[in-house]
Formats: sequence, C-alpha cells, structure tokens
Amino acid sequence: MKLKSAVFLVLVAVACLSLSSWVLAVEPPRNETLIADILTGKVGNPGNFNFWATWVGNDKGLQQLVIDPLWMADYVTGEIINVLAAENPIYNDDFTTLTVKLREGVYWNDGVEFTADDVVYTVTLSMATPGLGYHTQFNQNIAEVVKVDPYTVVFELKEPNSRFHYQFLDRWGACRILPKHIFETAEDPLSFQFNPPIGTGPYKLVEYDLGGYWFLYELREDWDRTVTGMVYGKPAPKYVKFIHYGDASKKAMAQISHELDMADLTPESLQVVLSRNEYARGFYEDFPWAELLHPAVTGAAFNTLVEPFDNPEVRWALNLALDAKGLALTAYDGAVAFSPAYIPALLPYYEYYYEELQPYLEDYTIEVDGELYQPYNSNLPFEMAEEARRKGYTVPDTEKEIRIMFGYGWWKHSPEIAEKLLIKNGFSRGRDGKWLLPDGTPWKIEIVCLTTSTNPSFKWAFSIANQWSEFGIDCEAVPNEQVEHLTDMGDYQVVGGQPAAEPFGAGIDLYRGINVFKSAFFKPLGEERVGHQSRWIDEEIDGYIAQMELTDYNDPKNIELGIEVIKRLIDGQPGVSLASFPGFMGLDTYYWTNYPSGENPYAVPWYHWPNLKFVLPFLEPTGRE
Amino acid sequence: MFAAIADMYRYDKRFAFGFTVLLIFVLIAVVSLFSPYNTRAWNTVPRNLEPSSKHLLGTNSIGQDIFWVALTATKNSLVLGLVAASISRVIAIVVGLLSGYKGGLFDRVVMIVNDSFIIIPLFPILILIATILRSSLSIPVLGLIIGLFGWAWDARLFRSQILSLKEREFTKTAILSGLKTYKVIATEHFPYIVPLVMSATINNVIWVIGMEVTLSMLGLSNLNTPTIGTMIYWALQYQAIFLEMWNWILTPIIICVVLILALYMLSTSISEYLDPRTRLQMTKAR
Amino acid sequence: MFKKFFIPRMIQYFTVLFIGITLVFVIPRLLPSDPVSTQLHRMTSQGQYLDPAAVEEMRETLQELYGLKGGMLQQYFSYWKRLFTGDLGPSFTQFPTPVIALIRMSLPWTLGLLLASLSLSWMIGTVLGGIKVSFPNSPFSKATELLAMGIRPIPYYIMALVLLILFAFLFPVFPMAGGYSVGSKVGFNARFIKDLLRHSFLPILSMVVLEIGGWFLQMRNVASNLVEEDYVVYAEASGLPKSKIVFSYIMRNAIVPQITGFGLNLGFVFGGALITEMVFSYPGMGTLLYSAIIAGDYNLIMGINIFSIVGVSTAMLIIDLLYPLLDPRVRYQ
Repeated sequence: MKLKSAVFLVLVAVACLSLSSWVLAVEPPRNETLIADILTGKVGNPGNFNFWATWVGNDKGLQQLVIDPLWMADYVTGEIINVLAAENPIYNDDFTTLTVKLREGVYWNDGVEFTADDVVYTVTLSMATPGLGYHTQFNQNIAEVVKVDPYTVVFELKEPNSRFHYQFLDRWGACRILPKHIFETAEDPLSFQFNPPIGTGPYKLVEYDLGGYWFLYELREDWDRTVTGMVYGKPAPKYVKFIHYGDASKKAMAQISHELDMADLTPESLQVVLSRNEYARGFYEDFPWAELLHPAVTGAAFNTLVEPFDNPEVRWALNLALDAKGLALTAYDGAVAFSPAYIPALLPYYEYYYEELQPYLEDYTIEVDGELYQPYNSNLPFEMAEEARRKGYTVPDTEKEIRIMFGYGWWKHSPEIAEKLLIKNGFSRGRDGKWLLPDGTPWKIEIVCLTTSTNPSFKWAFSIANQWSEFGIDCEAVPNEQVEHLTDMGDYQVVGGQPAAEPFGAGIDLYRGINVFKSAFFKPLGEERVGHQSRWIDEEIDGYIAQMELTDYNDPKNIELGIEVIKRLIDGQPGVSLASFPGFMGLDTYYWTNYPSGENPYAVPWYHWPNLKFVLPFLEPTGRE
Repeated sequence: MFAAIADMYRYDKRFAFGFTVLLIFVLIAVVSLFSPYNTRAWNTVPRNLEPSSKHLLGTNSIGQDIFWVALTATKNSLVLGLVAASISRVIAIVVGLLSGYKGGLFDRVVMIVNDSFIIIPLFPILILIATILRSSLSIPVLGLIIGLFGWAWDARLFRSQILSLKEREFTKTAILSGLKTYKVIATEHFPYIVPLVMSATINNVIWVIGMEVTLSMLGLSNLNTPTIGTMIYWALQYQAIFLEMWNWILTPIIICVVLILALYMLSTSISEYLDPRTRLQMTKAR
Repeated sequence: MFKKFFIPRMIQYFTVLFIGITLVFVIPRLLPSDPVSTQLHRMTSQGQYLDPAAVEEMRETLQELYGLKGGMLQQYFSYWKRLFTGDLGPSFTQFPTPVIALIRMSLPWTLGLLLASLSLSWMIGTVLGGIKVSFPNSPFSKATELLAMGIRPIPYYIMALVLLILFAFLFPVFPMAGGYSVGSKVGFNARFIKDLLRHSFLPILSMVVLEIGGWFLQMRNVASNLVEEDYVVYAEASGLPKSKIVFSYIMRNAIVPQITGFGLNLGFVFGGALITEMVFSYPGMGTLLYSAIIAGDYNLIMGINIFSIVGVSTAMLIIDLLYPLLDPRVRYQ
C-alpha cells in the first residue's frame, strides 16, 4: 500500500513536469503583439459580434479595432474626431436636418467599398427592428434618412434637435456603422451573430476563446484603405490581443511577467507592478501615476426625496463635514483631481469652465446664524502637492501644472459650520456625542455602492462613511450587487458614484451631463427613474436646458448657460462632487513604448474606447525578444 | 463533567491542545470587547506600520491596528460559527433522529422538506437577503441564515446512520431482551452517533467559515465588520501578498487554521472518550 | 417491496423536483434586478448616450421582446409548458441565444474540472484514509493525517491563490488564465488535449487538495468504527492475517459510505465551482450562474439550476434505491 501510493506520487510529479515542458500552441510573436486587458471582464457570449443588438456589449475589441463610428469624442483636445464622416455634423438653422459628409476610399475588410448606403441601412434597419439599441431613439427623432449622393447622407428630424449627432458620436457606445452587404443577408438582424465581423477598422478578427477570455486580431493587409491608415498611418502592432486575466492581482502578475501591456489596475496593484517590473509605468511616469482627467465626475449622490436629504442645508452640512484631503489620501493616496462643480476636471473644461468659476467659488458665501462663511478652499491643490512632496514624490511647480494634476479646489473641512447648519435645522447631539435626527432618534446613514472595490463608487463610499462616522453620524458603506436597481427605484439614502451624469467629454457642451436634472424626467420614489439617481430637479435649470436645446452644440453661448446650471447645482448640492474618475492604468514598455501619457497626452489613453485604433500608429516597438 | 474534562485533559494530548486553544480563543473574544480602537472604523492609527510594542501586529493600509482587528475578527467568526453551527446542528439532529426512528409517512414528508433544502439554489437567496437587509446584516443574523441553510445534508447523514443501526443485530437483541427504546438509543446507538455528529459538526464549522470567506470575497457580507473573511478580503484588496505585508494577510489565515485544528482535535478526542471501548484503552495505555 | 418502498420514494422525488423548480422560478423574480433595467444600465455605464426621453419606451420594447409582460402566474404556467417541451427559453443578457446553448458552452469545462477533481480526491482520500486505519501508527499515515488536517482549514480562496502565485507566477510552469491558448485547434487532437490538461492542472489540483481531507476523514472515521466491530475483533482473535482483515472485513464495509458520498457529490457538479473559476479565470458554470444572478437573467438562472436540481435529487434517489444493495444491513422500508 505504501509503495503503491509512493509510486502514485511519483507519477503525479512526472505528469506535472511533462505537462509544464510542453511547447504548445502557436502564439503570434510576442514582440509583434499588443496585449490589452478586457476591462469589463470575461465575455458572456464570445461568438456574438452583433453589438447593434441592445444586449451585446462593447467587450470584444470590435469598437477599438474593427468597427468605426461616424464621429469620435476626444476629451483630451475637446474636439470631435471625424471618423467615417468627413466633416463635423452640419445642422440647418432650425436644427431640423443634419447633413453628414462621408469619407471616400474607405473599404470594408472583405473588399467592398463603404458608402452612404451603409449609413442609411444602419439607420433604417435600427428603426425597423425593435431590440436594436437605437430603435427607440431613432424612431423618436428621425422623420427620414436620405442618401443624397454616395458620400452624403441627410437626416430629416421630426422635431428640432441640436444634439441629434450624439447618437453617432462614440465615446464607448454609439450607433456605429454596420456593413449593409452583410446584414442584408441575415434572416433576423437580432439573432444574427455577425461572426466573423466585417468592419472598416484597421484590424480583423483571427481567433477567439470559446470560454470568453481572449480575442486575437490581426492588422489588415489593406490597412491603408481604412480611416486609421489614411489619417494616422500604419498601426504598429501586427496583432492585438484582448485578454481577461482576472482581478487586479492577476492583472498585476501578468504585467510583471510582460504578458499584459495595457491594464486597468488599482492604486495598490499598480504599486506592485511598478516595484517589480522596471519597464512598467503609470499614466504619469512619477506621482500621481494615475490618469486623473477622466470625463466622469465621481463622489456620491443623495436621494433628495428621502428625509433628511431633501433639505439642501443638510446636504451642504454633510459636504462641509468632509475633509477632502483626507478622503483623497485614504481612497487614492492623494492622486485625485478635485472637481467641486459637478463637471469633471477635464483639460478643455479648465479653460472653459473652471477659470470662469474660480472667482465665483472663492466668493461663495453661506449664511448660518447670521454669520457669513466662505467655504471654498482654492488652495487645496497646493496643499495636496505639498503633501506629495513631503512623501518624497516629485511634483511640478507651476500653478497651471499643479491644477491640472490636483484640480481646482474643494470645500474647506468645516465641521463647526456643518454643526451649526444641522442644529439650525433641528438636529442635536445625543449624550454620547452622536447626532440625533430632528425627531430625536439616532441618525443612521447607509451609503450603498458597487461591490467592485476598484470602482470610485466603492472607494468613495467607504472613505465618506468613515468621515461621517467621525463627525458623529452612525454611518456605514454597504456594497451591494443590486445597487443600480436600488437607485433605480429610489430605495436608498446615499449612493457612491456619479453626482451628475457624464458630459460628453468633447467640446464645450455640458448638455448631456445636465439634462438629467430636467423636471420633465422626474419620477417619484418607487417608480423607475429616468433622470438622475438623486431625483433632484430645479425649475431654473429647466429654462437653461431649454435654451441650450435651441443653441448649436458648438456655440460659445453654451458656456454661459452651463455656468448658470453649475451655480444652481452648487446651491442645491444633490450630491458630493469630489473628483474626476481616477484611472490607475499600468503600461508595460518592455515591448511597446510611446503610449499616450501624462507627459505626452496626445490621445485618449484607454484601450477599451474606440480611440485605441488611433493610438496604435503612434506606438513604437522596442524589438525585444 | 469537570472530572471528565480533567480526565481527558490529562490522558489525551489532542484534547489538551484543543481545549487550551479554545479557551484562549474565548479569552480573545472577551478581550476584544476592550479594544482601545473602533475596529469598524478606518484611519484610527497611522497606516502601514511594522509590528511594535505599541501595535503588536502593526497596522494595515486602511489605518487599523491589526492586533485588535484580529481579536474582534476572531470573536465575530467564533460567534458566527457558533450561531450557524448550533442552529444547523439542532435542526439536523432533531430531523435526522426523528425521521430515522419514526419512519413511515412522517419520514417521507420530512425528507421532502429536507431534500428541498438541499437543492435550493443558495446564492440568489443570499444576494436577495443581503439586498434586503443591507447594513442590518449583522453577524448573528448572518449566522442564523447560514445555519438555516446548512442542516439538510447532515440530517440526511444522521438519518441513514440511524436506519443502519436500527437493523443491526445488537439492536434487535437489546429490544428482544426487553430494553426500552430510549435506553437502546442512549446506551447502544449513542456511541455510534456522537462521532458522526462530531465530525459533521467540524465539517459544518469549516463550511461556515469557508462560506463566510466566500461571501466576503464576493462582497455579499458586511465588509465593515471584522471577521476572518473580511480581514482576508481587505488584505487582498490592498495587495498585502505582493507588498509583503505578511502581518496583515497571515494573521486571519493562521487564526482560521488554528481554530479549526483545535476544534478537530477536540471532536476526535471527545468521540473516542464517549466510546467506552476506546476510553478503556486510552486510560489503560498511559 | 416495490409498492411499499419504490412508489413512495418516486413520489418524494417528483415532489422535491416540483418544489425546487418552482423555487428557482420565484426566487430570481424577488430580486430587485430585472433583465430589462440591467440592459439599460449596461448601456449607460459603458458611456452610451441614452436619451432620458427614450428610456421608458425602450423598457417597454424590451419587456415585450423578452416575454416579461403579463402577470407572474401567467409566466409561471408558460414556463412549465415550455419546460415540458424541453425548452429552457432564451437568455435575456444574451438574447435571443437559447439558455441551453449557453449551458452547452460552459458545461463541458465544468464537467471536466469537477469530475476529474472529484474522482482524484476521492481515490486519494479513500486510500490514505484506509492506510491510516490499517496502520494507525506508521509515520506515513501520521504525516498524511497532519498534512490533511493542516491544509484543510486554510480558506480555499487563499489556497487556490497561493497555488496560482507559486506555479503560474513565481515559477511560471502553468498558464495564468483561460481554458486553452491562442492558436490551438479546438477539437480531438493530441496538441489541444495537452493544452487543455495544462490549463486545467492548477484548478484541478487546488480542488483535489481541498477535498482530500474530507474523504480522508470520513474514511478514517467510518473504518475506525468498524475496527471495533465484533466480527473484526473475532477475525483478529481467530488469527486471520492482518491484510485479509483489512481488505475483506474493514475496507469492503467502509467503502460503502464513501461510494454514496461520491455518488451524491456527482449530483452537485452542475452548479460549477465559482471560486475556482474566479481565481484561475477558468470557464465554467459557476461564473455563468453568478453573472446570470447579478444581471437578473431569469431564464438562465432557472436553466442552470434545473440541471443542478435534477442532478442532485436524482443522485439522492439512486443512492437511496441502491443503498440496501450495498449495505445489506439496511432493508427497504
């Protein structure tokens, strides 16, 4: 018996060794392959590439490499990039028609030329097929779509709409253009799998994992007949592989082993990668490493229909009870660009909005018990820079650079003022020093948030909960898988996440970020929301939004209107507007260099957005084996 | 009772080990109530300190004293295991024994309920409960829930043991010789059932603790409450393994291993003690 | 015997199936998430511009398409009707892919993983347990007991993670993720099978290590009880050789609970192994089910669970029916 099991163990050991020594499948040459992580995780149905259907996600690499939109948002420059369109959107004077000029000489990867027919077919097919993602929105807006000539399409709109082109402007989702000659042959456009995908992008699909963990793409031989090739030149990597390794620890391990070039990490796992892979870097070479100028503003939102959060003074008090510096240090080790005004700290917005708002914020005054108080701290970015220097990090010196890094400022940590505001509204402190509601019962706050610990929703919820507890409120952060549905029905008090919707991330237009506060979209608690999760509305804002709708998306008048809306948001504080989404991206320069970076922000750095295909021509191979 | 414990303590090293460790854990649970820090809060102490006389096990990346968090986590996990295991044990034993001895229609109906509990999909229910209770999902409540879903398997096991015992020669002999049923159960069957219950209990505790770790990993338990699972969760979130913060990641693992080992040794020792045949050998041998 | 035992047992079997299948219909529908709003959330969370004005109408359209209009009771009846024709319906998150197609994609991975680890751990655990009972004081069996006891309490997640860090990262012998690599031709060929084995090695190893302890313990406990049985004592007294006693008297009887345990565990394989799949990024039913629960994909949750429910209750039924054959001391009653 003993002998037998010994033999067995030896056999197991031999099996281990022989398994490990097998040289297996033919992977494409590593130094010609760019490997990026699948940001959304394992892909549910890897064989279905028809992402015009509502339920098929942007998770297989199609929008980055194979399929093109008409336009793409570039939040680094604030411009709209023309992709399949040759010019930016052209509206008539009363916004009832939109003319789209298309590029000539673009070919699908099966050799068929791209023309206006494809655009018209994409739209008409969507309108005719319930279940396609843009079915409803197109039917509400479009009276007719006409091909004027092979390279011009005109949309006749049912009602004036100065923002109709947003349906075709890609950030990470838009109605992209599908190949007419392929979809025409499909029996049912909803269940059609579109496998292999045929696109106008510079790459084509080679192989994908039936388990949904990886997708491999190869550069087209006729890459010069794609928009990428024509505008930006030849993409450098011959192959691009998207792969999901698992959680942040696993991505870090893969990146340390040089098996993952671009990855979305957490502050800690990025630290691990940097300390163990001398070729790895963050978006910045040095502190703060993270990409801080992201088009979404994060923090928390109050449910403004629930007591006591229905009182703007209570919401102000809760904001003032927070110590922004402490929050930033706890959640992100200080790598945070503050955005107190419900819009992200985007580079273009600095010029258009924050420069304008800064004096207003500095003069902003709150009156409590007849006393005036100015809560804004415009010096916070410099305090953050000082804190970083104290830790031994190198931080730029000029005011402009520091503000780009740490944002424009935030509210002062003012627990005394918060205390006065609360007492004024009938709150009191119990014998143990804990806050009691006006009715004398203990005040208990629950901040729900996502369960993904890498998400700002989670990070801010836990840090905020801690500071409110310190302030004397019985407060807890509760991650929940169903958080989106709780906020949908209004079954929550405070939620970690976005205090306002995301504006477009391109140009001056804030419309998309603020029209969620329109009172037309108001729903009472218990009904599924349509507007923002805070359910906060404001009549004055309605007026500004109405004016915006009659203004061209490019008209500087939008800035004035936008600033008025921001002022109302600051008065009302429907949430805690903390900072832009901090992205802890790990980049391995072992095989590829010249990624978009803090030092050279030539493009949007994220690899899950359509902009990746325009980054690829700028990458440089190192030629390492 | 005390005499028995003293007896076993003297004669069985495993019992001595298990009993001592368990006493220490109970002591830890009591001491944890006197924590100088709020172990649910963050940033109560400077972050990432090495172990020192001030912070015996150092501090972690979210600003907690690892020693005191570990003590509280031990207490919470003990309470959780105790609540969950005792609830599921009571149900399992009652159901298993009644069903096994009574038989007939009663047995069939009870087994339908029992089998339904075995096949209920647990995860949707746990997510449902976590969503409804949210921050009210305290340790005893979690224990109650896990307990309510953790008995059916063992009830089946106990029942089949009873069925097997009922058919044995010695049962028949005993009944024929006029012994009352409960007497047969107490004297003849008990030594067979107790070791089974003991080992099933150990398995159950391991399952409960594993379940708690799994729930924490998935973010389904209350992450603010220190437990073995949430300690591991936060340590892994902050990459304690790769940043080599062994004081943080190893503490909950060692606690977990020692606790279960102690329980295991206790249970084997007690089962053997209750079995008159081995008890004789045990005391004779030394 | 047939009437008294078989028929009631079958009634019990079908009642349990009915209860189970009804529960997996009801429970997911109690969750706050529903497939329609999940879709809308996914769109907005991925930065797509969803005009608030269109949201309500989109909801209507999707509900219509998914067949989620009408009351719960009505849906429940059509669900049974469909089930009897063997149709599990379409998945909502992967609409209109039939649930059965998604299961077919994940099930082979799960079956491979769980059948292999279950049988390996069962064999090793049983053999080691047997050795322990037969030679309780040999250094080998003492060492195995210590090892089994020391490893088993380590939380599985940690153990799996440590194996992964050791053998996929520090000593990169095995791959870090996935079921097979780029460039291998999926099919029945030597290269693909080798690739498959290489990818499944660590996940299987982790589960075997986890489960050996349980089988070992059960074997040891049952067998050590038997050692005290009269017939064993009698055999020993009559001078039969030790090996004959061990194999003919102890092992043969101790193996019965092991076999039933094995059979029951077979029923559980359809649920997959969520944590294993997560740690090793291995395809399978665990993650499929979990994401279905999160997304409120009712049909998929029901589909997977029906497999589980049928698997487990059938395993229990078969064991109950066969048990009296295996263990002659138990009669049909």
